[in-house]
Amino acid sequence: MSKFTHKLLCATIAGAFALAGSAFAQTAPDDAQIAGIVVAANQVDIDAGKLAQKTTKQAEVKSFAKQMVTDHTGVNKQAGALVKKLKVTPTDSDLSKSLKAGGAENIAKLKGLKGKEFDKAYVDHEVTYHQAVIDALDKTLIPNAKNAELKDTLVKTRPAFVAHLEHAKQLQSTMK
Amino acid sequence: MAFLLKRAGYALALLAALGPAVQAAPAVHTVLIDGMRFIPQTVEVKAGDTVVWRNKDPFPHTATATQSGSGGPSSPAIAPGASWRFKAAKPGSYPYLCTLHSTMTATLVVK
Repeated sequence: MSKFTHKLLCATIAGAFALAGSAFAQTAPDDAQIAGIVVAANQVDIDAGKLAQKTTKQAEVKSFAKQMVTDHTGVNKQAGALVKKLKVTPTDSDLSKSLKAGGAENIAKLKGLKGKEFDKAYVDHEVTYHQAVIDALDKTLIPNAKNAELKDTLVKTRPAFVAHLEHAKQLQSTMK
Repeated sequence: MAFLLKRAGYALALLAALGPAVQAAPAVHTVLIDGMRFIPQTVEVKAGDTVVWRNKDPFPHTATATQSGSGGPSSPAIAPGASWRFKAAKPGSYPYLCTLHSTMTATLVVK
């Protein structure tokens, strides 16, 4: 992938979140929408991780991808149990839709790549994605969560995204 | 009444005799893994005690001494809801981390 396309992609992702952010400035998401955003955010990374596990030849990228699938599946299971308990149905919002669209776009692009190009594109996207989710947690999801258990789950999950971001950045630094 | 008092006295004497023995027996200490943290951050135990790491997070973690082969903990991946027991045999201070999430660090001190 050229540097230009990479920059463009990052700008697109950042733009999608900025747009979603401004949409929320008008209407803050309710708990059902927050649940929908959490589920979408995790699913996007599970899908990318599954593709990376199949495609990459590099052991470190493979083990990172495997961990992303495991961790984000775990978070989604917990979120599923919580919404069931709270009798909340996760619903779509601008942010969940843009997350899903961004995820599908990433998968489509990754499918056209091989070898080192694939690894770099996957890891670069993981860095951007985790940073974007942390921003969404801090600016939108945690401040707007009404239910105490939902808020607590978000607060407790945040450090996992930080650890993943650090891990992705460390992988990224070995690829330059 | 006198009989009851006497019995109470025996019971107290028995407790007093057992007291030191109970204290000297190896203890079990629990470290909770919750919200990507080891709680407590530092756990101090006596040689021979057991430490149990209990994972309350929705994904796996490890408790792995930063220096391998040091006598510190070296767990496999501890699944969500699962525990891992470790007998602290060798005195020392063991900084450890989760190898899956290296932002998670803590210390085990064996006296």
